[in-house]
Amino acid sequence: MSVIFITIAVIGLTGLAGAVLLYVVARRFSVEEDPRISRIADLLPGANCGGCGLKGCRDFATTCVARGNLAGIWCPVGGQDVMDRVAAIIGVAAASVDPLVATLRCNGSCSARPQRADYDGARSCAVMAAVAVGERGCSFGCLGCGDCVGVCGFGAISIDPSTGLPVVDPDRCTACGACVAACPRHLIELRPRGKRDRRVWVACSNRDRGAVARRTCSAACIGCGKCARTCPFGAIDIADNLAYIDPALCRACGKCIDGCPTGAILSTLPPRPVKPATPQANETTHI
Amino acid sequence: MPIVALDLPRRAVLPLSQHIGAPATPCVAVGERVVRGQMVAKAAGFVSAPVHTPISGTVREIAPVAMPSGYPVTAITVETDDTMHEADTAARLAQIEADMQPADRTLSETLTAEQIRRRIADSGIVGLGGATFPSTVKLSTRPDAAIDTLVINACECEPYLTCDDALMRACAPRIAEGIELMLKAAGVPRAVIGIEDNKPEAIAALRAALSDGWPIDICVLRTKYPQGGEKQLVEAVTGRRIPAGALPAAVGTIVNNVATAFAVYAAVDAGRPLIERVITVTGDTSVRGNYLVAIGTPIGDIVPAITDGCKVVLGGPMMGRTAVTLDTPVTKGTSGLLVLEGRPRLPEQPCIRCTACVNVCPMGLEPYLLANLARRRMWPEAERHTVTDCIECGSCSYICPSSRPLLDYIRLAKSTVMADIRARNAKK
Repeated sequence: MSVIFITIAVIGLTGLAGAVLLYVVARRFSVEEDPRISRIADLLPGANCGGCGLKGCRDFATTCVARGNLAGIWCPVGGQDVMDRVAAIIGVAAASVDPLVATLRCNGSCSARPQRADYDGARSCAVMAAVAVGERGCSFGCLGCGDCVGVCGFGAISIDPSTGLPVVDPDRCTACGACVAACPRHLIELRPRGKRDRRVWVACSNRDRGAVARRTCSAACIGCGKCARTCPFGAIDIADNLAYIDPALCRACGKCIDGCPTGAILSTLPPRPVKPATPQANETTHI
Repeated sequence: MPIVALDLPRRAVLPLSQHIGAPATPCVAVGERVVRGQMVAKAAGFVSAPVHTPISGTVREIAPVAMPSGYPVTAITVETDDTMHEADTAARLAQIEADMQPADRTLSETLTAEQIRRRIADSGIVGLGGATFPSTVKLSTRPDAAIDTLVINACECEPYLTCDDALMRACAPRIAEGIELMLKAAGVPRAVIGIEDNKPEAIAALRAALSDGWPIDICVLRTKYPQGGEKQLVEAVTGRRIPAGALPAAVGTIVNNVATAFAVYAAVDAGRPLIERVITVTGDTSVRGNYLVAIGTPIGDIVPAITDGCKVVLGGPMMGRTAVTLDTPVTKGTSGLLVLEGRPRLPEQPCIRCTACVNVCPMGLEPYLLANLARRRMWPEAERHTVTDCIECGSCSYICPSSRPLLDYIRLAKSTVMADIRARNAKK
């Protein structure tokens, strides 16, 4: 019997001594931290993607609390929902930002830009861009090695084998911007998702003169300006032989799409009934 | 192999950027008549070089043309006609005849250093080993730099290339003359020619040319790669090691290629700017040999049509770049055309940690590490591991048993880090 009592006493006293020691250490070396930091950190996605421009989710939380406001701070992954809750913790009104989505500004598919050379170096767009124009001859277009696929932390980008171009899954894309930074040709742009997910963009970045661009790729923007003349809202600008649709002005009416002679304008609009097109035949004479 | 003078082209395409530094500015207009050797674009700044036309004719076009990489660069296109072509060819034959004559040593006595440098600058001479750095910049030494040795690189930068060897065998006296002019221009007392021991005929030719009273020594070196790298060569010839990140001037030397020395002779003595160079054509082709080629000659004129799966490398097998198009001209930096048929790179396999790349790196770097850092886009770490010291010799990629494209990634890291450093310096 005494063995049991001795055992209980020894273990009990050891436990008590440990508890006292831990209590003293915890008091002596405690670090004061604003409890809001961990509350915010718990709300965040925890992907540490760096899409906010800070060093990770913990840094994001610390910065929010340290600044006391949310000016210029936005978690693209969490979006409006998370930012509203963060704002509630900080005690300020949440800013509102249009949700964005990564958009590829190239439509040089295998059929539009046939392969002209074989590249057998490192499978990396950055390496290929430094060595040569790429397998398909366009010095502005997508190289197709998938640097963007590799950096995407959300599995939102994949290469479509039929076109050789990356495809962004809008449901998975968090607009963190990792792919924007990774693309050596700067082809990916974060564009507003648009009302009811309706958006229109120019899927080309070729700044060559029209004839040169057309020779390289049949889907290239040739800077003809037809879309800019068609647009009722003045949202399209032509600079350096390239059209750009300003998402702030675009109302996604889709009028520019039909007029484009090379089909360089893409959209998420539902397909419209095709009118019997008349001017198709003489389109080449304009170029 | 003796040098064969390739016919002058009917159409010469002269890119404005054939050198390191600012692209040249055109000084002729479309439709203007130009004569062989005339300057068609002038240097745009101190680190830049003018461009001259190798053929007489009419300026047809000033427009972007594809370089071997496929990226466009603005170029001046000159076209000739039959009478002018014949006259040019006759003038060229006389020049080749003169190039074979013994050296004329009076010029280095009569001309001042400033005059020689001026002529070198006006002749558009750049480093012909492949780096294409404007030669006047190298030869304009600061008085406080205390340069005591001009090292002449006669090592042939890469395997397969024999253009420097052929040039030394044919024109050793004129090369010696060019070296003496360079010494005068830079105010350096002596020169050492570093030459590998696999070129006995060239060594004999140089010895014969330098038999009496030249301030030029010959240093015969072991044949190895990379022997012709600036840092390796200076250490092999003088025993001095260039510190990391420094230029040869830091140890009192300047380095120039033997073909550059010949170009200096041509510019100062024969009054001929840099409009031609010797290139090696080799590999799986029927036209192997060393050719005297006018700069601006389309590569497609030199190498016959190639088949599918065949590649044409500009430069040597280790550092050369594969041409995306053959519709591109020979430039000042083209040292060779290497045709490789049906020999694609082997597929990349995982690193087996054998450290063969570390052992072979002539700069003592860790190529496997640098390549991995580049792959993960960790540029500050790559900078800490001195990626900027890489001389891009390609030994690591060559030796790798897993055929990993190490140099591809290291080049990417090096250029990114260099750009970062330049941006930081500009901010300061």
